Amino acid sequence: MRAFPLLLALALAAALTFLTLPVVAIFVNSSPGDLIDSLGEPGALDALWLSLRATAMALAIILIVGTPAAYLLATRSFRGKALVVTLVELPLVLPPAVAGIALLAAVGPSGILGGAVDAAGIELSLQTAGVVVALTFVASPFYVRQAMAAFASVDRTLLDASRTLGASEARGFVRVMIPAALPGLTAGTALALGRALGEFGATLMFAGSFRGITQTVPLAIYDRFSTNFDSALALSAVLVAISAAILLSVKLVQGSEALGSAPG
Amino acid sequence: MRRSTLASLLLVGIFAGCGDDVGAGETGRLVVSAASSMTEALTACSSDFSGADVRLSFAGSDELAAQIRQGVKPDVYAAANTKLPDELNKEGLLSKPVEFATNELVIAVPKDSRIKSVEDLGGDGVKLAIGSESVPIGSYTREVLARLPKAESAGILANVRSNEPDVKGIVGKLTQGAADAGLVYVTDVNAAGGELRALKLPAELEPDVTYAAGVVKGAKQPDEARAFVNGLTDGGCAEALARAGFGAP
Amino acid sequence: MLRVEARTRLGALDLDVALEVRPGECLALAGPSGAGKTSVLRVAAGLLRPQRGLVEAAGETWLDTARGLDVPPERRRCGYLFQEYALFPHLTAWQNVAYPLRGVRRRERRQRALGLLERFGMGELADVRPRTLSGGERQRVALARVLAREPGVLLLDEPLSALDARTRAGAARELASVLRAVDTPALLVTHDFAEAAQLGDRVGVIDSGRVIQEGTPSELAASPRSAFVADFTGAVVLTGIARSGANGLTHVDLDGGGEVTSTDSGEGPVAVSVYPWEIAIEPAAGGTAPGSTQNHLPAEVLSVTRIGTRVRLGLAGPQPLAAEITDVAADQLGLRAGVRVIASWKPSATRLVGV
Repeated sequence: MRAFPLLLALALAAALTFLTLPVVAIFVNSSPGDLIDSLGEPGALDALWLSLRATAMALAIILIVGTPAAYLLATRSFRGKALVVTLVELPLVLPPAVAGIALLAAVGPSGILGGAVDAAGIELSLQTAGVVVALTFVASPFYVRQAMAAFASVDRTLLDASRTLGASEARGFVRVMIPAALPGLTAGTALALGRALGEFGATLMFAGSFRGITQTVPLAIYDRFSTNFDSALALSAVLVAISAAILLSVKLVQGSEALGSAPG
Repeated sequence: MRRSTLASLLLVGIFAGCGDDVGAGETGRLVVSAASSMTEALTACSSDFSGADVRLSFAGSDELAAQIRQGVKPDVYAAANTKLPDELNKEGLLSKPVEFATNELVIAVPKDSRIKSVEDLGGDGVKLAIGSESVPIGSYTREVLARLPKAESAGILANVRSNEPDVKGIVGKLTQGAADAGLVYVTDVNAAGGELRALKLPAELEPDVTYAAGVVKGAKQPDEARAFVNGLTDGGCAEALARAGFGAP
Repeated sequence: MLRVEARTRLGALDLDVALEVRPGECLALAGPSGAGKTSVLRVAAGLLRPQRGLVEAAGETWLDTARGLDVPPERRRCGYLFQEYALFPHLTAWQNVAYPLRGVRRRERRQRALGLLERFGMGELADVRPRTLSGGERQRVALARVLAREPGVLLLDEPLSALDARTRAGAARELASVLRAVDTPALLVTHDFAEAAQLGDRVGVIDSGRVIQEGTPSELAASPRSAFVADFTGAVVLTGIARSGANGLTHVDLDGGGEVTSTDSGEGPVAVSVYPWEIAIEPAAGGTAPGSTQNHLPAEVLSVTRIGTRVRLGLAGPQPLAAEITDVAADQLGLRAGVRVIASWKPSATRLVGV
């Protein structure tokens, strides 16, 4: 019987080592001074700034459009709902390259809607807007899925109560549903954020790679690693630090929510 | 008791299967890292290679070189220039490289393009896709631009909208209609199956594009690797390269 | 004045009710779970739309399916107290109470909310989140929140059922005084007849979607219209066959043995109901006095339960019985499980209802 806990501990140790070693290696392989110097190189800062801008824009779209959509899916049933949910979650399981192909086929210059996009005066390919589209496409299911689960788990009588107390469904959504679902929404945002920051394949295929316009941090890392490994390491280290900070703040928000909130 | 024995046997079997399994009388496996521009040609000829079962890995030559520097050990390294193989040779990671083919840099445009020459590349609103600095196609492109008058090359560079990590990315932007023109190898235009047209560069701009290959030090199948490298100049793969549009070394 | 009419199918249940509650009055709908009580409340609040229905309250028409009129819940001025209170977990007590206050500046909202909370003795817990409040405290916050809405109608869903027994008594008294103090008509649902009797001016017994009988609690207890009502209001119910007898009395041959007489009239299969506190207990050994006009049934004591100064006896006779006597009497008789007794009661306390 004692062998089983030991096996569990070994499994955890193996998993931990496997997961943390590459991350640790990023920081250990080069001196902090070299890393910071590499960051000062103009292309690196451009990539960081672009990644942050594009991710923020993608996230804004995802939150504004995805939150009401997730609410609808979580609280109403209608014919064909299972199909709609599957479609919404589809980008989740698409390999990034496939996502890139899909975007090209849909809104690329030769895509189905390519003519319409062009006629509307919008340029996606080879532009930052294209990066935002790619990030939104691959990251939104991460948010919508979590948001759906979060809304579904909120006690429905809370919304009933809000309505009987004089708040319309829209006000109830903003003042009751969203705060009550906040831990789940935050977790979903963090997942979407992480996915968007790390997006590579679809971005490269759909938007291209050009410093300051479309070369996000992952693309910049790829561009550099064969000629300037230190720079690639530095950028990777920054991305790791940002991702860790995101995860940590989500945990903190969830922790404080758990202390403050309560069922009925 | 029997269940845990079975489990242990399974585990042993899995780990045993992970290792290389070269039995007596069986053909071994040859891992070849080659530049993206050779994708179609080498894929066609590698199955004919009698010495071993060839596994091909295509990417920008610079990425492949970086992998080798980080300790990855394919058996053969074939690059789109001589610079990278020479560097690896000096670093003791590659055997003395053999030049096995040449290629030609061209301007690739969609079939119905109105771009006719190098000068047109600097025109208003022209969107260009070229290789990034570290990949051979990118450095050849910048060689070409360096041979142009400063104003003209500046104008062309200003029109660049994407620095792709390999030729496949450039071709992709062209076939998708995202870019109006790009600089790639003539073999890439051939491989694009009629979607693109190649515009020749003036002879004085044309760089010396020579492909070189070598056996990676520490390769598992050095003899077969050498045979493969030789076959690039004089064998089934040499013919495939010629058919694709590569020139003789 | 509140008027609720609803005819609709809910799953396997056919709901068919028509109720009226006068201003200042509380009508308690009592019935078993699944009877449709909460659905009536939801129809009144606008959370459930019946196939055919009418809701008139506070001088307005909130629902009239005949005219296609269906005012959404947020525009009905009703105060709905939910069974589990539905307090918003992310808001403090006073913020919960202030939720329905609109168009008012923050300071005044807080003051009004505090005022309501203080009325319920909750002033000190105003800045606390519901999570840390006890059941009784949450109920009071929920009540304050409902009153903040200044509703034209009060709808209460099992207002005491989520409380533990000890808190319940105090909460019941408090709620009763609130209901008396406000002028609004109140519709309350509960599965507990005693609760309905305590809080409601009138009680309606509802089962399987229909109101079987409506009246004051004592009317229902004294003259139950059916076995179900009798049973629900806590009477002992025995079954048997009735036949007319001498002196206008009705004799009932009980199933399983024994005979009782009733001043009610009845014929054929009947349910006999009598209230536990109408039953007197004598030791079996004494035998019955000859010529007694009381109903007698021999029985064995199964259980003895003290409730304050009363004792409730569970008895096993040809059919199960329950009697309530004073604890003094129980002690004098030395009652405990296994003791044989005679249960007796007057024919005039014997109700006959059709089965």
